[in-house]
Amino acid sequence: MAPARTRSPALARDLARLDERLSAKPAAHLKVNGLSIGYSTLRGRFHAVEDVSFEVRAGTNLGLVGESGCGKSTVVKALMGLLPEFTGISGEALLDGQNILGLSDAQLEPIRWNRISLITQSAMNSLDPVYCIGDQICEAILAHEKVGKAVAWARAEEMFALVGLPAERLYEFPHQFSGGMRQRAVIAMALALNAGMLLADEPTTALDPIMQSQIMSRIRGIHEHMRRSMILVTHDIAVVAETCEAVVVMYAGKVAESGPTADVLERPLHPYTMGLQNAFPRLPVRGQPRQPLISIPGTVPNLLLPPSGCRFASRCPFATDLCRTTAPQLHTVGAQSAACHYTERADEFRAAAARPETWRNMRVGA
Amino acid sequence: MRAYILRRLAQSVLVVWAVTTIMFFMFRVMPADPTAILLERGLTDEARQALLEQWGLTGSMWDQYLAYLGNLIQGDFGSSFFYRKPVWEVLWPLIVNTLWIAIPGLLLGAAIGAAIGTAVGWARRGGKLERSGIFLATVIRGVPNFVIGIALLTIFSSTLGWFPGFGMGDPGATTGFARYFTLDFLHHLALPLIAVIIYFMPENLLLMRSGVVENRTEDYIELVRAKGVPQRRVAWHAARNSMLPLITWLFPALAETIAGIVVIEIVFSWPGVGRELVLAVTRQDYPLAQAAFFLLAVMIVLANLAADLVYGKLDPRVVYK
Repeated sequence: MAPARTRSPALARDLARLDERLSAKPAAHLKVNGLSIGYSTLRGRFHAVEDVSFEVRAGTNLGLVGESGCGKSTVVKALMGLLPEFTGISGEALLDGQNILGLSDAQLEPIRWNRISLITQSAMNSLDPVYCIGDQICEAILAHEKVGKAVAWARAEEMFALVGLPAERLYEFPHQFSGGMRQRAVIAMALALNAGMLLADEPTTALDPIMQSQIMSRIRGIHEHMRRSMILVTHDIAVVAETCEAVVVMYAGKVAESGPTADVLERPLHPYTMGLQNAFPRLPVRGQPRQPLISIPGTVPNLLLPPSGCRFASRCPFATDLCRTTAPQLHTVGAQSAACHYTERADEFRAAAARPETWRNMRVGA
Repeated sequence: MRAYILRRLAQSVLVVWAVTTIMFFMFRVMPADPTAILLERGLTDEARQALLEQWGLTGSMWDQYLAYLGNLIQGDFGSSFFYRKPVWEVLWPLIVNTLWIAIPGLLLGAAIGAAIGTAVGWARRGGKLERSGIFLATVIRGVPNFVIGIALLTIFSSTLGWFPGFGMGDPGATTGFARYFTLDFLHHLALPLIAVIIYFMPENLLLMRSGVVENRTEDYIELVRAKGVPQRRVAWHAARNSMLPLITWLFPALAETIAGIVVIEIVFSWPGVGRELVLAVTRQDYPLAQAAFFLLAVMIVLANLAADLVYGKLDPRVVYK
């Protein structure tokens, strides 16, 4: 319990060794192939995620975007091995070449936090109410590194400094923190072992817009500094545009579109991506007409009885009979790919999708 | 914090006073004559009157009450009618005897119950461990404690002959304080102690289990799992949080359990306060019975106070005002 100012030389030396050891960890590479996740329910099999594939190159950020219930958080939980034991998971997730799906808790012990760590969705409830924050961070460090409690605590102080929290507040309990501070504490915890892969599961959802942008710029700053690989789960396309090199857009448990962020946002191939983009406010550009906000009508289909064709067909203004009967394959255009039968007509769709009446006039549920 | 404790202590004094007063008048309105128990045939009216006077039972009820209260404040519980000795001298060794089965019994019962409850709560839902754990706990909880006592006696004392059946020492065993450290005493202690543990454990087990089941799906447990700590440690987080409701229940439950220990003392003929309490009431031995009830009231009130203070230690969110 040495305060930051008075670290003894021995402690300072041990801490420096720990820091050096941890910062030597390379950023991780993750390749997910054909990941499907289903639950058996009384009314049949529920396909939460179907045939999702993507790759996170070492040292890059991948945005995982989609509306609530599209399965993006389920993917993250599957990667951490946190889904309930009766969940049916198939496919593989190669973390630096090692498949981490389907491992037991005991097998995951050395992998979790050490090589892949998590910034949770609801930091409000993610901290144990009866332990002080410092102890909770130390618990993670001590589980993986052979160091004394004092060294772990000193490391926790460093992590707190990194997220802009004063070291003395490590002694405080979660209920003494504001929402934004708790989120920062959770980020500090996720960074404690400098894992090669960071999974950020909607890290700003529970916060107000000002806090959101502060936390996101904090995450971006840390990323510049530490060069980890990260999967950022969010429904905010603007955040992805600012933070991620690549993006995967998910719809109803499937990949709708994926590719380099710049390409996907500039020239979306999938009508869902086009709709998603229109649904977010943009700053007006001088001399150009204001972009209207357009919401996508309808709701996500029931995944207990998924439609036989394209899952977006019922909400897509451009859907044809082919869309309603046959599920589209992924079509690759340049570095991008999209699950749409009509990727070659994307230019035409984009122009139409920018007009509010395109979405307003369609018959929902057809 | 200090102000809180002082205020709670003042409240406790008030509660103990109220209990004492109620006890005092309840014994006085019972339609019986304490001198009858002495069964001294040919007790003349004069002699009887002299006894009543000596026992302080002659003045008005109000005078008796004030005298009793005055003595109590000075720490004087009076003299037992039956033993013709100061109450304190009669009770003191009995208190020690009761504590020998009560404290280890309650602590072990709570600890064992909490430990098994955590294991059962953490086990796979609907699995063998969970189902058998709940089943056994519910059955044991439903059995009256004298049945547990009699069953233990029948099996381990009468049939197997492993343990003595009654009392706390063989005749001619060491007396005085040294007796508590003899093998003979521990041999006698085993069965009543086990009875208290079995009696107190199931409720702890069930409460702890439901707490762990509730907590294991919380977000913070998921994060602890994600940290890659051993599963034991994850379960500990759930258990640690489940202790909070257990503690609030535990201390008031001690009161009920002390009542249960009375029965166990009788079944095993364990010379404790509880057994003496029942005897004193049947013998109309007011001073002894009142003192025993007074002690129980103080213990229960202190247990409740302790619960509040321990709760603040376990849950940092609790603020004392």
